[in-house]
This record gives sequence, structure tokens and C-alpha cells, in this order.
Amino acid sequence: MDDKILREKGRVVRHSIVELLEHWAIALSGLALVLSGMFEMPMANRYYISSVPGLAWSADFIVSLKVHYAASIVFVAAALFHAVYHGLRGDRGMIPRKGDIRTSIEVVKSFFGKGKEPPFHKYLPEQRLAYVGMVVIIAMLIVSGLVKTWKNIYAPDMSYTVVLWATWVHNIGFVLFVLAFLAHMAAIVLKPNRPMLRGILTGAVSLDYAGHRHPLWIAEIEGAQAAKGEPPAPPTEVASVPGEAEAPPDDAAGETEALPIETRESPSPAGNDAAAQKS
Amino acid sequence: MKSNDIPTLSRRSFLKTSAGVLAASGLAWPGNVQAGEPGRLATLIDLSLCDGCTDREVPACVSACKTINRDTIPPVADPIPVPWPRKTVEDWSRKREVSDRLTPYNYLYVHRAEVEQDGEPKILFVPRRCMHCDNPACATICPFSANHKHENGAVVIDQDLCFGGAKCKTVCPWEIPQRQSGVGIYLHVMPDYMGNGVMYKCDLCNDRLVRGEQPACIDACPKKAMLIGLRREITALAEERARQMNGHIYGKDENGGTSTLYVSPVPFERINRTMKKEPGRPGMKPGVERQMAATDAVGKAVLASPLLGIAAGAAGAFKWLAGRKSRLTEGGKKDG
Repeated sequence: MDDKILREKGRVVRHSIVELLEHWAIALSGLALVLSGMFEMPMANRYYISSVPGLAWSADFIVSLKVHYAASIVFVAAALFHAVYHGLRGDRGMIPRKGDIRTSIEVVKSFFGKGKEPPFHKYLPEQRLAYVGMVVIIAMLIVSGLVKTWKNIYAPDMSYTVVLWATWVHNIGFVLFVLAFLAHMAAIVLKPNRPMLRGILTGAVSLDYAGHRHPLWIAEIEGAQAAKGEPPAPPTEVASVPGEAEAPPDDAAGETEALPIETRESPSPAGNDAAAQKS
Repeated sequence: MKSNDIPTLSRRSFLKTSAGVLAASGLAWPGNVQAGEPGRLATLIDLSLCDGCTDREVPACVSACKTINRDTIPPVADPIPVPWPRKTVEDWSRKREVSDRLTPYNYLYVHRAEVEQDGEPKILFVPRRCMHCDNPACATICPFSANHKHENGAVVIDQDLCFGGAKCKTVCPWEIPQRQSGVGIYLHVMPDYMGNGVMYKCDLCNDRLVRGEQPACIDACPKKAMLIGLRREITALAEERARQMNGHIYGKDENGGTSTLYVSPVPFERINRTMKKEPGRPGMKPGVERQMAATDAVGKAVLASPLLGIAAGAAGAFKWLAGRKSRLTEGGKKDG
């Protein structure tokens, strides 16, 4: 795990540059794929999109196929890079854990003022579940897209059954991808989640936010740093007691009852090391 | 030229071919089923033989095609939903008898070309229909795969899956498929906002091919101006006939190659000049390029992109693992 507490800056490094590049490569190429994929339907002319100045190309299926192909090079390479890179490193932070479904329901309820959030690891339980959903959708799109590409270039007369499967998996995958994207945007709009936006833009989140909402993650980082023999951090930062976090926004941190970080119940360094290896 | 001098393909040979194609059709994995390989069928249209059936009201091939497809299109919705926002409705249901252009009810017509050969005026008759291309963009980029090139070479639209968006017509160099609004699956989804009918065109009488029969137009031709057979045999036959008549071939290289080879004693450039290129009446420009070819290079890069991602991921992870190992080793030395 490359996550790090930068106490002097009041931040926690949440994503490495590699992870940021992966995320934005998938996100931007994915949006280009959605747009060019929609233009592969005969809609630009019917809906006068191609009449809009600058969008005349949208009715040209060959141009939109080129854009679709070009974006999918980035999309496919980034997705497989992600799988292999993190698979070999043993990163497991986004793999769902036991009880994630139940906890996710509690968390969603808390967004609407019912009950309190439990303390989080690096990722929210619904983030881990959403990750699996996105993996399935992206895998559907990539496999079916590669079959369709192979057919376009080398085998226009391949088995009709295979072509129909690939087509419908791709089309359904498209709808699911768009829905997942909208859900992703909706999640970041929710006030308690907003501090994480900074994480995916800059790689770091505020230590106040992380200390209050992700105390288990902070404990893991501290455990990992302790295992490496790094000096313990001075007890200047604040964190709420696990179980009592109220997920305050950045600017509301000071209003929460604060306790020195050492007072939190924390696993042994050895245990932390194991946890860190898996995050 | 006497028909006796013309190399021919017997009906018996065609039937053997069909049986072979049927036997092979169980094998479907790509790589061994590329269009143009042995086992594919092709047709030959010999313009030196076609006389346009001028003694008939409608040429025999056109008439046979119309007869066999009389009930292909189901009853049309009345009224036909008007699509939004572009209010294009194409209804040929009240003009089914039209036989001098392509329509949803007419998949074959015969063009009359007044040309010159050796300074003498000459009239040629050119049967026109879908060319059944080797790599047909109309089929490969149909959003619902309602259009497909089958292993026997026939490019067939499944009217139960087609939404009638006419993308196939847009990407076809000859704009062959024709739309009938008010029929098809789109009526049951969102007829006002998505789809606009079903696209129709020649399917090479695929049902008949599957039964080991010839396409109706070929069966009906009194001059034997049209033939069907194994692709390599048809190609050899077309080349032989072109050589004998010091003539020309159309369809061998056009749009990346097709399953329809026209043989003519007159250059196709000259025949093309007699064509008006109106809706339903395609031109015959020699050397038409396959538009999709422009996407092949980047498409091949797409196929390579998984390897790129895997290699980069493995390299990145091993670099990280090596770095961690050396850090651990250094840490161990310090501790020691």
C-alpha cells in the first residue's frame, strides 16, 4: 500500500499517480466510447444532431467507428493494466468483504438521516460492491467489443449465434455502463462523499475527513508505517471514535468531539501489516 | 457468341457445392470461415447473355423474385407511425408492382444501358441487386446485428430484428437496402422515437440455398445469364468468359470484393455512365472502395490493446515488487 499520512499538510495520500491515471483513462475513454457508441446508432441525422455546427461528423458512421476504436484502445489497455497490476501487487482494498451488503444498506440509510455510518476502511462498502458491478459491466463490454472488432476486420461471416450474443451483451453492457456512470455521479454529489472528489482529482484527501470517516484506513496506514519502523505520528490530529463518526464535511471537522488518535482502539502492528498488504 | 462456347457450371455441380457448404456450416469459429475461402458461393451475371427479356412485360428474373417474395413483408400498420423529430416515412405498400428500381417489394431490376462498342451502338441489360459483399459494412456495423453475412456468402437481413434505421443503406456503396415503414419490431418498442420500419433487399434466396436449391432469379433466367456455384469455380468461370469475350469483370474487387461477378464485353465505366444513380437505382462505378477499410488499422490496434495492458500491468507490478524487495533487504541489513 502506497497510502501515506502527510500530517504537516493535513492530508492523506489515497491514490497513487498510477491509480489516478487508470481512473481517468477509463473514465475519459469510457465517455468517448459512450458518445461514439451512441453515434453508431442511426440517431445523429434523425435527431438533427449532425445539423449542429461542428457535429456534422456525428452522422458519419465510419468516423464514429474510428473514434470508438481509438477510445477503446485506451479503455481496454487501462482495464487490463488495472487487473494485472493490482492483481500481482495483491491489492484487495476494493474486493467486497463479508457483510458489505448489510453495511451498505445502513450507509445509504444514514445518507437520508436514518442512523449513523459505521467507521470505514479506505473504501465504503458500497464502493467495493459497485467496483464488482463495474468490473462485470466493463468485462462484458470488452469481451463483446473484441468479438465485434474481430468480426468487422477478419470474420464478417462468423457464427451468427456468436455475433448475436456479442451484439446484445455489448448493447446491454452499454445501458448498464451508462446507469453505473450516473449512479457514480450521484454518489459523489451526496454531501458526505464530496471530500473524496479531491482524492480522485489530486490523489489526496483531507486528514480531518479521513480521520473522521475512514478511521480503520488511518489505523491501517499507521500500522503499516509502524511496521516499517517509521516514528509514530505526533498526536496532533483529530479523529472520532470508531462507531461514532458522523461523516462531517471537511469544514465541519472542528465541530466534532475530538480525541487524540492514540486513544483509538487499534490492532497490533503485525495485524496492521497484514491488513495493509491487502488494501 | 453461342451459348455452347461458354464455360458453364452444371446444376449437379451446384447441388454438390450446396451440400458441401451445408455440411461445413456446423463449423463456425472465426478464422476458418473467412469470406472468400473455399466453400463460399458466388454468382455470375453475364451481360453478354442477358437480353432483358424484352419480349416480356417484366424480365423473368424480376418476376420470379417478386413472386417468391410476394408475402415476405407482413401487413403494414395503418396508419404508419410518424417518427419524431425527422418525419421520414417510406411506404411502398401501395406501389408493390414497381419493378424498374429497388424497393422493399422489389429486390431486383434490370437496367437498360445504351452504350457503344467498337463505334457501334449496343444495348446491354444489367440485372441489379445486392452484391453480397465479402466484408459487408451493412452487416458488420448493424447496431442490432439484424443483418449478417452467412457462411455460404449470402448477406441476409432478419426482418424480425431490424429496426429500419437505414444505417445499412447509408454505408452500402450502392445504397441497396430499401425501407418499408410501419412493419417490424420497432412498432412494439418506441415507434415514435426509435426505428422506422424494416430494411429489405435480396437475400440470395438463402432459404432456398439451405434447401440445396438455386436462387429463384437464376432458376428463372431463360438465357442462363446468371449462375451460382462455388466461389473459386465462379471466379475462374468469370475470368475465362471475360478472356474469351475480351471483356471486363465487375464485383471482384469493388467494395473489397463481392460474391457477385458481372462479366461484360463493354467496360463498366461506360455502363456506369448510362446510370442515373437515383434512389433505388445504383450506379456501377468501377473500383468502389470499401469505406470500412479506413478503420481496419485502428481496429487491429484494438485487438492488440489487451496485450498492451497486460504487458504494462505486469511490468509495473514487477517493478513495484522488485522495489519493495530491495527496500526490505536494505531494512534487514540496517536492523542487522
